[in-house]
Amino acid sequence: MIKAEGLTKRFDDNLAVDGLTLNVERGEVFAFLGPNGAGKTTTVRLLAALIAPTDGRAWVNGYQIGEDNINVRRSVGILTEAPGLYERLDAVQNLTLFAKLCEVDDVAGQVEKYLRLLGLWERRAEPVGGFSKGMKQKLAIARALLHEPPLLFLDEPTAALDPEAARTVRDFIGEIKEAGRTIFLCTHNLDEADRLADRIGVIKQKLIQVDSPANLRHSLYGRRVVIHLASVTEPVRTAVSSLPFVEEMQQMDNALVISLDNPEEQNPILVERIVAAGGAIQFVNELRHSLEDIYFALIEEEDRETQA
Amino acid sequence: MNGAKIGAIVEKEIADARKNRMIILSMALIPTLLVAMVLGTTFVMLNVESVDEASLDEDELSMIPAELSGLNPSHALLILLNDQFMFYFLLIPMMLPVYIAAYSIIGEKETKSLEPLLATPVSTSELLVAKSLAATIPAVVLTWLSFIVLIIGGYLIMPEPVFLAMIRPVWIVSMVLLSPLLALLSVFSGVIISSRMNDPRAAQQVTGIFVVPIIALSLVVLAGKIFLSVWMVFLAATIALAVDCVVLYFAVKLFQRETILTRWT
Repeated sequence: MIKAEGLTKRFDDNLAVDGLTLNVERGEVFAFLGPNGAGKTTTVRLLAALIAPTDGRAWVNGYQIGEDNINVRRSVGILTEAPGLYERLDAVQNLTLFAKLCEVDDVAGQVEKYLRLLGLWERRAEPVGGFSKGMKQKLAIARALLHEPPLLFLDEPTAALDPEAARTVRDFIGEIKEAGRTIFLCTHNLDEADRLADRIGVIKQKLIQVDSPANLRHSLYGRRVVIHLASVTEPVRTAVSSLPFVEEMQQMDNALVISLDNPEEQNPILVERIVAAGGAIQFVNELRHSLEDIYFALIEEEDRETQA
Repeated sequence: MNGAKIGAIVEKEIADARKNRMIILSMALIPTLLVAMVLGTTFVMLNVESVDEASLDEDELSMIPAELSGLNPSHALLILLNDQFMFYFLLIPMMLPVYIAAYSIIGEKETKSLEPLLATPVSTSELLVAKSLAATIPAVVLTWLSFIVLIIGGYLIMPEPVFLAMIRPVWIVSMVLLSPLLALLSVFSGVIISSRMNDPRAAQQVTGIFVVPIIALSLVVLAGKIFLSVWMVFLAATIALAVDCVVLYFAVKLFQRETILTRWT
């Protein structure tokens, strides 16, 4: 669906994107994370054939950017950072223009379909300047979907929205995902990325890491289980540390944090040993690092490497 | 070039402009004032004491060009004055489109609506043509409409020689040929200036420099130094066409997707 090879963009002396190599598969939700100025929006503009790369090549839906830009733009929908609507025009006029520009066959039908789908049909004749931020964002999403593109670029879709509007938009993105569309999601909202994305790419001019959130957690922190006990006694500590598969053990009050490489198989043995050693287990759960921890760990590592 | 896409953008631009009270007022005011000024001046001059050759001094007589020497001096002076006003009619297609052009580009900058538009499968040339047409068509139509209103008013109140002078080929050719060329000059300049500015009013003021040569020419005519002929209008149209081409060249150079996205917004 998206294939980029050494994609580079330079604005005068400023290197915005540095040798991006990336594959995004059909039906995948790919979250693109990075600090401000990291090159996320520039990457979207490159992949949507809005700007030309300084170096490298990329194919979107089988069309090479720079060679077949009109077909690239025909096959993608884009939600820009700002909704960019015509505020004096009503919702139907806004969508009709874009439906015509995107060569939609049944303009009126598609406009009605998406206005109804996003709950805006009753307000269709009102100037969009009077819409709330959430409604504007929904209208902008409808605009990106009118021509039923197989690939959707969403640049900060929930930024500046109140929690209720953000949830509505996020739920709708979930529905688009369920419908099997490929989504390239640029966001600062790490929780959103964690919930929606199949894979995550962290960028700071160059791509630092790409993987699923689960694999990133495992590769950075390993897998840890937390066992809460009524009290941690010496026999319990000895029983746990003597197990050959326990890589590391830390005590935090009445809990033991234990690093394992295969908790699904090793947890039952661990629990059995603790009980045998007289431990009273209250809870067992997996220590799950937030995507925020992963993101900062990757960015800090990149900064250290750059400085070195 | 895809006519349907150009048509869709023109339709949107005109719908948007129609909902902008500032643009509507600005576009309606200038032609209305001008028509009222020409007809009002004619009415007042015809109702004051008649001027004859004996009441004019040598300087005033020398203002009347040879082409008008056989006419009643009052009528000859009125024709000279109306010729001056007709130049102002040529300013209408220069002044009106810049209101739409500046708002249609700077307005899109302000609302950040250019990027979604550029992300559609529309070419930049289609976009430039659509934006230019959306600004040129209403301006030229309004110019022609106000000229028609003036002709009707002139027919009702002007003496025959003055009326015939107003609809002589010089002015008909000017309206048909020169006014669209001047409108395009204004629009293309608006595109260039809008790319560098963020305030539509500033863009309008800078475009005002193109008015200067026309005002200068009108003063020369008023002074009786030249009497306009059709070939002069053709010459002016040729010059306007050449300047249009030069300005269009720079407008096209500036109106590139990447430039618009990375430097305009």
